[in-house]
Amino acid sequence: MDTQETQASVFDDPIDAPALAEEAGPAIEADRAEIQEALDGAVQTEAQKRQHRHNHLVRAINWNRIEDEKDLEVWNRLVNNFWLPEKVPLSNDIQSWATLTEDEKLLTMRVFTGLTLLDTIQGTVGAVSLIPDAVTPHEEAVLTNIAFMESVHAKSYSSIFSTLASTKEIDDAFRWSTENPYLQRKAEIIIGYYEGDDPLKRKVASTLLESFMFYSGFYLPMHWSSRAKLTNTADMIRLIIRDEAVHGYYIGYKFQKGYEQLTPEKQAELKDYTYSLLYELYENESKYSAELYDPVGLTEDVKKFLHYNANKALMNLGFEPLFPSTVTDVNPAILSALSPNADENHDFFSGSGSSYVIGKAEATEDEDWDF
Amino acid sequence: MATVTPEMTTGKTSAMDYHALNAMLNLYGPDGKIQFEKDREAANQYFLQHVNQNTVFFHSLKEKLDYLVENDYYEKEVLDQYSFEFIKSLMKRAYGYKFRFPTFLGAFKYYTSYTLKTFDGKRYLERYEDRVVNVALALAAGDETLAEHIVDEVVNGRFQPATPTFLNAGKKQRGELVSCFLLRIEDNMESIGRSINSALQLSKRGGGVAFNLTNIREYGAPIKQIQNQSSGVIPVMKLFEDSFSYANQLGARQGAGAVYLQAHHPDIMRFLDTKRENADEKIRIKTLSLGVVVPDITFELAKKGEDMYLFSPYDVERVYGVPFSDISVTEKYHEMVDDPRITKTKINAREFFQTLAEIQFESGYPYIMFEDTVNRENPIDGRINMSNLCSEILQVNTPSTYDDDLDYVSVGKDISCNLGSMNIALSMDSPDFGKTVETAIRALTAVSDQSNIGSVPSIARGNDMSHAIGLGQMNLHGYLGRERIFYGSEEGIDFTNIYFYTVLFHALRASNRIAQEKGRTFEGFERSKYATGEFFDKYTEQEWKPATARVQELFDKAEIHIPTQDDWRELKALVQQHGIYNQNLQAVPPTGSISYINNSTSSIHPIAAKIEIRKEGKLGRVYYPAPFMTNDNLEYFQDAYEIGPEKIIDTYAAATQHVDQGLSLTLFFKDTATTRDINRAQIYAWRKGIKTIYYVRLRQLALEGTEVDGCVSCML
Repeated sequence: MDTQETQASVFDDPIDAPALAEEAGPAIEADRAEIQEALDGAVQTEAQKRQHRHNHLVRAINWNRIEDEKDLEVWNRLVNNFWLPEKVPLSNDIQSWATLTEDEKLLTMRVFTGLTLLDTIQGTVGAVSLIPDAVTPHEEAVLTNIAFMESVHAKSYSSIFSTLASTKEIDDAFRWSTENPYLQRKAEIIIGYYEGDDPLKRKVASTLLESFMFYSGFYLPMHWSSRAKLTNTADMIRLIIRDEAVHGYYIGYKFQKGYEQLTPEKQAELKDYTYSLLYELYENESKYSAELYDPVGLTEDVKKFLHYNANKALMNLGFEPLFPSTVTDVNPAILSALSPNADENHDFFSGSGSSYVIGKAEATEDEDWDF
Repeated sequence: MATVTPEMTTGKTSAMDYHALNAMLNLYGPDGKIQFEKDREAANQYFLQHVNQNTVFFHSLKEKLDYLVENDYYEKEVLDQYSFEFIKSLMKRAYGYKFRFPTFLGAFKYYTSYTLKTFDGKRYLERYEDRVVNVALALAAGDETLAEHIVDEVVNGRFQPATPTFLNAGKKQRGELVSCFLLRIEDNMESIGRSINSALQLSKRGGGVAFNLTNIREYGAPIKQIQNQSSGVIPVMKLFEDSFSYANQLGARQGAGAVYLQAHHPDIMRFLDTKRENADEKIRIKTLSLGVVVPDITFELAKKGEDMYLFSPYDVERVYGVPFSDISVTEKYHEMVDDPRITKTKINAREFFQTLAEIQFESGYPYIMFEDTVNRENPIDGRINMSNLCSEILQVNTPSTYDDDLDYVSVGKDISCNLGSMNIALSMDSPDFGKTVETAIRALTAVSDQSNIGSVPSIARGNDMSHAIGLGQMNLHGYLGRERIFYGSEEGIDFTNIYFYTVLFHALRASNRIAQEKGRTFEGFERSKYATGEFFDKYTEQEWKPATARVQELFDKAEIHIPTQDDWRELKALVQQHGIYNQNLQAVPPTGSISYINNSTSSIHPIAAKIEIRKEGKLGRVYYPAPFMTNDNLEYFQDAYEIGPEKIIDTYAAATQHVDQGLSLTLFFKDTATTRDINRAQIYAWRKGIKTIYYVRLRQLALEGTEVDGCVSCML
């Protein structure tokens, strides 16, 4: 009962979400200003939106009048999926961490720092910037949830760092993230579109981020877990993937809704834009992956994974896949590890697992006690 | 144990490494069928790419045994009980059966977790057959015939000793052969301190340990008559949680522990709240397992929609002169409610059950033990007040008392149990079913006889007195699927009933034979329902036979004799005359690891998924196909979530009536379930005479549109 109350209060106060992300550690000083700027932009738009609403009528959100069933379905799913990093016993991975070589540790730290940066953008800029574009009040509510969970994700990586690495290693990794040109380029491109004035383009950027760009990073923990390393960390990442899968799907769906309304010319233009953005991102992502994964010889495999997820992102947006199946044959160990279902079997000897659902409380009736 | 984990591929990744082949099991093939052959290929590749290259080669058995003894790998004393010729013939016998691992997970699990490795953990010193022979030699303790029987049963997969026995027997550097310990705690600091020590000692040796917290005085209870002093059970739980994570068996796995609490203990709600997802870190319990002991009276109160009173254990002990766990709450409930000397609080009984279900939703815990059912069905003199980490051990205990320096004033009786499970499908194929059961009972008895846990005297004493063992069963669903019978159908339940009925007969007969040979019984036999003959009433006064033609046919085809009333009368006379050696005989554990090695479905549960995703610290994510499942009989392999709780409970109820201890029963729900569905299942289980409930599992499927394409475990 109290669980549900606590959750409700989370959504009552979306302003908490960025605040929580700030705790996420020494988050990329150089980027701070940029993010703040973007955030201000988003807040401004929000103010305009409020003004806009004021001119009309402010409507209280009525969950009993659903305009788009998908809003409720996704809301319920997100609420059920709610989790916090404290749940996962990361410290069980300390011994496993010690078995990694120095190269592997460095790679892992950098991959997670990269993911932290993306989640920071998504939590503080991305999801927030989508809110003013929302068509239904329920969509706004879902987006606030998404924004909050992105900040939870950003914080989760810090939990991984503080459990496994020393302060110096952590600081080095964050410094690397501000100095790596590809990572910075990635952030620049995406933030650029979030700040633009086309709501549908924002959704495209967001879907590509959620469904495509995270995955060069997600590859690594999945790889480790299929090799029996850092399995608890992988559990946490799987929780994040489970969330991102829903986020990408939902924002892509909302994109399709808007896309349907456009004239064929506008549609063609937007589609063109999507593919060229994807291409731009892909090119950068390839270089980013190569720099990260070359020392351990995994780049080719990571790229296949990128192709696979690029197609997935396009499908979420309702477009045809770009990459032929000959270059999307991801290592089955990785693909199977991705499954977002909460169906893995484990017991008290095997750690926590990524399956977790919050229950629906319902009181028993007299007939249930008829014995 | 040191571990061998596959090294990370640092060069080019080869596309078809065995992990990838194994993972293809979870992806449908181009023809839309499950790719079972990829998993077999994975097992082959695992041997080719990894095992064979990393196995130490010896020119002869003699060279091998000498090396292993001289270098402290094998226990010399074990081998010295036999002639070299016999050991050689036993090896030939084992290798003659041409054992092969049918799945990748089976082979992978065996080589990563069980087989003997060089001390640097890099090379393998045993093949599967070597391990089996060494286990047989160790358990048979010089008895050549028994050693041969054990080899026959284990290599052919009919009997599989539990992990600690199979892992450790015959090795020089090893943990204990016993898996499971249950300890009481009394309401004093000495007992609590001693129990922390026991937790450390037993975890170090590889066991799961359960503690009974029922006797510990509640939050706010008086200490030395000063009110509001005690901190209750939560801080004690915290101490246990930390103790178990500290003692981690050379890093092999973390210690595992459970704590049980009586539903009418005043701290019960605080106890449950420790498993809340958003509990404060100071009270949050992450890795310790919880169990609640629920008496009949709680159900009665909930039925009437009344409040349930919670009683101060401190006061109860002063009023009755015995610890809270040693009285029946159902029997004394109204007396205690009316007794002004006993401090009490109350909560609503139905709300209690609902909270129970809410916490089970969030965490899978607590386990539940139906206290009065358990004690009604207990043939042994004494009281059962707790269960263990897997909720299948149900035995009586007595308290210990201590000096200030933690020496024992009197050593009580605590519980240990060693387990092993029969593979139902292969046992039904056994050339001699009775011998299979008897060999299993003898192997388990040997473990009890060879165990002496000196670090916890109350455990050592309990084992000496009781020789308790737990014969389990697994692969029920695999067997039913193979025979094209649906799990939970009338025939499925009928089979379960007659199978367990037949096992019980042979188990008792074996224990009776051991008693005759050794000329002794367990302590307290004369006060048991076996001695009075009461235990046998339900078998001598009523005929048990298959209710369906199909099940009769299965037993006829297998040429397995179903015991008659006359058989039981004869056995009853023998038991009353000579007794039985083992205080407890059967307990059906959840069988995780060993069922993979043995190619079984777990326990008598339905499968969790057609292709199960197994995640363990040492293994990573590995995929496991249901045994005997093919692309032609998929419909008989419905998973536990589709089958639903009712059929599982019916199946367990059929087995429970022939099992003296408990059976780990997990309830599976789809994500549409509410707490009310869980409560209903609990009520149904209690009414059907189920003794304990283990985990509650919920399955949540991916939102439509977000799943991985062509993934077997993602689809229904």
